[in-house]
Amino acid sequence: MKRIAIVLILGLIAVGAFAGGSQEAADSVDELGGTITFWVMPNAPDETHMPWIEEKAAEFYELTGVTVEYEIVGWGDAWTKISTAVATGEGVDVFQVGTTWNPQFAATSGLEMIDINEFGGKDAFMKANYDSTTLDGTCYGVPWFAETRVLFYNKDMFEKAGATPPKTHEELYAAADKIIAEYGEGSAIALAGTNAWDLIHNWAIILWGNGGQMLDDSNEKALLNSPEGVKAMQWYVDLVRNGYAAKACAEYNQPQADAAFINGNVAMCYMGPWNISNIEQENPGLNYGIVEPPKGPKGEASFSGGSNLVVLKESRNKAAAKEWIKFLLEEDQIVEYTSSLSKMLPSKKDAYNNAAFDTDRWQLFKNVLSYSTAYAPLGVWGDIENAIVTEFKGVLIDYINGDYTDSTVKTHLDAAASKVDSALGKE
Amino acid sequence: MVLNQRNNITAFKFILPALLAMLFVHVIPILTGMFISFLDLDIKTLTQWLSAPFVGLRNYFDIFNSGMDVGRVFMRSLWNVVLYGLLTIPIGYVIALAVALLLNNKFPGRTIVRGLVLLPYITPDSVMYNVWRFIFQARIGLVNKLLLQIGLIQEPLIWLVGDRAMASVVMASVWKGWPFTCLILLSGLQGISAELYEAAEIDGASWWKKFRSITWPMLWPVTRTSLIMSCIWNFHAFNQFYVMLGGDTSSSVAVPSLVILREAFTNLHYGLGSAMAVIMLLVVLLFTGFSILSRKEELH
Repeated sequence: MKRIAIVLILGLIAVGAFAGGSQEAADSVDELGGTITFWVMPNAPDETHMPWIEEKAAEFYELTGVTVEYEIVGWGDAWTKISTAVATGEGVDVFQVGTTWNPQFAATSGLEMIDINEFGGKDAFMKANYDSTTLDGTCYGVPWFAETRVLFYNKDMFEKAGATPPKTHEELYAAADKIIAEYGEGSAIALAGTNAWDLIHNWAIILWGNGGQMLDDSNEKALLNSPEGVKAMQWYVDLVRNGYAAKACAEYNQPQADAAFINGNVAMCYMGPWNISNIEQENPGLNYGIVEPPKGPKGEASFSGGSNLVVLKESRNKAAAKEWIKFLLEEDQIVEYTSSLSKMLPSKKDAYNNAAFDTDRWQLFKNVLSYSTAYAPLGVWGDIENAIVTEFKGVLIDYINGDYTDSTVKTHLDAAASKVDSALGKE
Repeated sequence: MVLNQRNNITAFKFILPALLAMLFVHVIPILTGMFISFLDLDIKTLTQWLSAPFVGLRNYFDIFNSGMDVGRVFMRSLWNVVLYGLLTIPIGYVIALAVALLLNNKFPGRTIVRGLVLLPYITPDSVMYNVWRFIFQARIGLVNKLLLQIGLIQEPLIWLVGDRAMASVVMASVWKGWPFTCLILLSGLQGISAELYEAAEIDGASWWKKFRSITWPMLWPVTRTSLIMSCIWNFHAFNQFYVMLGGDTSSSVAVPSLVILREAFTNLHYGLGSAMAVIMLLVVLLFTGFSILSRKEELH
């Protein structure tokens, strides 16, 4: 009896193994047709996003005979879902990745190489966004849209407190002093805390404004624990220590910080263009303005991010997948998708010539994007970001526990730097 | 003999579907996980994972190496989950036992109360722990409101970050977990023969004496099983930490399940993540071994 069971089990394992091994990726078809699966993040509210994609998919079918099946994948699930697709070579043909994800998934060798000339050449795109599609100089994606952070401020609160929108780090503190004098502690600025996976972006803006760098120019060594790095992180923590931001910010994620501003409780917040649609939806009466991120001692700085479109290497319909990317990047599509749906910024330069972007607000974002910095396109970027965010959280936790001293930031940044160095060693 | 064999075959046919399901859902993935734990499988080797370099026990050395970040994080998470268990299991057990003793008495509306007691247990984890997260939030949370109102604190406390985070998760977990233990203990209590108590009463035994000499020893097998089960579940603790604290792995509230999730699926270090998972499997097997041994002892 036992023997029968063992034979059965072994047989099944063997069948499983061979079934897995016999599947080979079919070559891409030359003629367009068939079906492609497209994964896209919730870049706009579902009510407007889904009808738009459906409409465009129908248009694309008319043009090419290719059926696009789309799925909206939340940012929280996307990483795992994509890494599974990359590992198995199944599930999707073309999908959206965050700019820092692009080189990481390229490092798995699960993404299709892209000849950017097919998509208008690299000069057609914002430099930071094109760079984010590369790993060791080879391109593995096409920039779709860009984003950057600016300072949003509440005009009513500023007026009542007699404050003016800040242009420098010092002016931000000065405005914050006036606001907390009028509205009480914690009312000046909303910050993300330990629950924010994107905590690093907030510090990066301040770091670059102070003239600091995360890595050296050759991406071989961490420089983030430099005096500029320490100063930048202390400046951020001091926003809480001085009472400009509520202590409760320590437990916030970025959307919670955004919400505190959007609800009109807090006077300032570093946010991105997509938050404009949040404001329009949740608190259309909010009287707010935007200014460029206040300059640091070494000048202007902001963070450049966004999303790219990539093709799975094992896709059975790569030609159609690339055609779909080309279609989404056509001026009509990209202008509509960014200016009215996602409120992101096109990463294609010529799209800005469109009248839709001819407003002060879009021009401000475009201007900020022109000097924004992107993270280094590295396969090990995930480890680097993880190390920095972990230690940044450590600083905030020390503060909450009452263990914060003058050396806290330096200690944590040194720890982050040593982890980053060991990650860079694996690149 | 022939009849016996035929019976066996029939029995085997009946359990075959379950065996197959076990094989595909448990056995093969576990064995694959063990295999991966000996590989240097990360972002670079992901697509050709079968040919990832074999590194023997290196992943196991790394996760217990206090000189490496991954080792420090994993070992601290083991300690965190032990601490969490040392707090949650006894507190939950005492509450459960007290309520079970109360519910074992006859009083009007007993059935309704028994049903109500189970409410925390039957509500979904994700919902309840989200509610608890709101309760502990610094600005709008009920806990701070209450403490401020009665004058115990002067300014809102931060519960979900730092030193108090473990306390808030323990409170929520005890609240969520005790009803089930209570139910098991109650059924144990009902299995104790009333004659024993009657005999003790005739001898003039006090309540405490009866509890110590009858209830506790008679309840011990149930207690033991429930404690072992709690220990096993305790090592799996995930939902409460993930939902209430956002899956932070950098602090005193990182537990192994979170660290494994992070290491394997976020950082894409599958080899290290699998090694951690294998260690957790061994821990759970250890407790399962206790459970089986104690049941055997009982039979003897």
